[in-house]
Amino acid sequence: MDIQTLLSFEWGMMAPEFTILIVGILLSLLDLFGKDTWKKSLPWLAVGGVGVAIIFLLFQYGHGDISILGNTYVFDSFAFYFKLILLIATLLILLMVISRTVQQEVRDRGEYLYLLLAALLGGMMVASGGDLISLFVGLELLSLSSYIMVGLRKRDVRSSEGAMKYLINGSIATAFTLFGMSYVFGLTGSTKLVDIAREMSGSLGSGEPVAIIGFIIMFVGLAFKISTVPFHMWTPDVYEGAVTPVSAFLSVVSKSAGFIIIVRIFWGIFGNATFGGSDTLFATMIDFIAVLAFLTMFIGNLVALRQRNMKRLLAYSSIGHAGYILIPLVSLTPVSLENIWFYLLAYAFMTIGAFMVIYILEQQKQSEDISIFTGLYRESPALAIIMTIFLASLAGIPGTAGFIGKFNIFVGAVAADPAQYILAGTMAVMTVVSYIYYFNIMVQMYIRKPQLEGTTKIARLQSVPLILCVAGTIGLGVFPFIALNFFH
Amino acid sequence: MDSLHIYQNSYTFIVVFMFVAILLPIVALSAGKLLRPHQPTKEKMTTYESGIEPFQDARVQFNVRYYLFALMFVIFDVETVFLYPWAVAYEQLGIFALIEMLIFIVVLFLGLVYAWKKGVLRWR
Amino acid sequence: MTTIPLQAYLILALILFCIGLFGALTKRNTIIVLICIELMLNAVNLNLVAFSQLGNNPGITGQVFSLFTITIAAAEVAVGMAILIAWYRHKNGVNVDEMDGLKD
Repeated sequence: MDIQTLLSFEWGMMAPEFTILIVGILLSLLDLFGKDTWKKSLPWLAVGGVGVAIIFLLFQYGHGDISILGNTYVFDSFAFYFKLILLIATLLILLMVISRTVQQEVRDRGEYLYLLLAALLGGMMVASGGDLISLFVGLELLSLSSYIMVGLRKRDVRSSEGAMKYLINGSIATAFTLFGMSYVFGLTGSTKLVDIAREMSGSLGSGEPVAIIGFIIMFVGLAFKISTVPFHMWTPDVYEGAVTPVSAFLSVVSKSAGFIIIVRIFWGIFGNATFGGSDTLFATMIDFIAVLAFLTMFIGNLVALRQRNMKRLLAYSSIGHAGYILIPLVSLTPVSLENIWFYLLAYAFMTIGAFMVIYILEQQKQSEDISIFTGLYRESPALAIIMTIFLASLAGIPGTAGFIGKFNIFVGAVAADPAQYILAGTMAVMTVVSYIYYFNIMVQMYIRKPQLEGTTKIARLQSVPLILCVAGTIGLGVFPFIALNFFH
Repeated sequence: MDSLHIYQNSYTFIVVFMFVAILLPIVALSAGKLLRPHQPTKEKMTTYESGIEPFQDARVQFNVRYYLFALMFVIFDVETVFLYPWAVAYEQLGIFALIEMLIFIVVLFLGLVYAWKKGVLRWR
Repeated sequence: MTTIPLQAYLILALILFCIGLFGALTKRNTIIVLICIELMLNAVNLNLVAFSQLGNNPGITGQVFSLFTITIAAAEVAVGMAILIAWYRHKNGVNVDEMDGLKD
């Protein structure tokens, strides 16, 4: 590859990634050598960096599909829309970090910020990766940064324990993913997704069992990132051990990146692979994923019923939501990708919002138990109403983003060929089950009397992410067509 | 056919040597066991450590600081793995690969600066 | 010169992977768990290198991939050890079954 070819690539398309990278490096240097007075403004630098990256990304709206570095890094509409979710979610989480009122929680604040940016960069690499190697490196950048972020609260034994569990589970999952990737590489002799798809579209012949083994092993490994059934056990422990903004990050950004890589690999490679003469390999494996989706929805929502720790409750509810998002993956219709995207976007707003409310209450009451919500309506009506909006959206009440997302997925599952009636039915039943634990929190807020007298105030900085999340949740619920038209 | 004979003969030597090597310690040790008187005393049963009486457990715990150095070493050692292929193919890769490698090394250097500034390299 | 068939490497890698997985799921000592995970990742490397030499479409990419795997495995173990030291300072032990502070 000579210098002319390299310069002919459109490097300008990488502007969002470069922004995040440069801001991350700048943050680490300023944190090391800067004066203490500067350090207060470092979080704003991070917010500014992510903001600039979003603007750079929006300039790419409607740009044709191009790829650089010999198809290893692609900029298609898929990468564009999903990067947008990652960036918006990270922006909200950074605002959440800034709003902190209790100071001693994490002492190494600078690390916290640039690990967050490094993880975001990994997620963006996953969204744009067109090669198994770059997908893997991006995924690991995301994972390794998250392991450290979970363990950053060194003084707290729960943080170290959560981080250790996360790391062990994550490494085993990585090994699974890689093992699957090695079989796919062996079958096709290439790591570039376009080449693999081309090789696989021919007859696989005696390679079919290897392809199936590769498919299953890789899916099991990637299930870790989205916390679905074979690898979901880490979720509650890690969410409980981590600081709340990091839990929100894992729940939204990390999970979105997991879905991105799954869609990219499984639709991209196996969606083209012919199997047994007629069907695609992906179509033959739909039942496998459907079983996982069924189990995930079932376990996530039922175990959430008996949780009292709020972060564990949201962890199990996030397992349940991951199960819902698997449904459009298996019910193949032209709008499947759109449904995944919309649900992830809605999920980002409502989950970050719910974590933000928990974060505010947790700092004031030094507890994560469900009792922090007791009598919240009398202490702070505004916060109670805001939390109600997020809970309604998570539960899927009409008028909220969560309802539109669930409704689209449900319709997609029924309209698909073959129709996934069992999955759609399970989803409906499990949504009803989820009402029990979401409404339990509302009962606590409105009907119970507060244990302690006093009012809960929302600081000005804390209101910023809350307002943005409420706007996102309600806006997408009332005017979903704005987002859906934007997607087309 | 001749060459095959030479080939096999050279292996015969190895087999003979292997037998001798296995037999010698077995014969020597068992002969010693048969010939020597068996009179264990408490003094004789103690562990022999270079003529000095053993004074602590053989397993010692290292200072945890060693781990930090080991970690640093592992990271920087493994990163070199990318330098070798680059160095071998340097002629074909040209100037752009040099710039890329410089970026890579600068990022690595930032890591070293971080460790330095955080006082990992100082023995306390 | 007779070459060892590809299947032999694949079976060896599969056995290594299974040993690693078994160890990672059953051992008490966290260090040994980390070693077992390394074993799994090395099985992957063996697969990649074998495929890149003897596979249907041999190519250098597999070896490049294995270089990346080696590096990232090292980074993963480094992070793991760092977290383990933090954990050790709390509990004075490295056993997995003592990680029971977080549960339902």
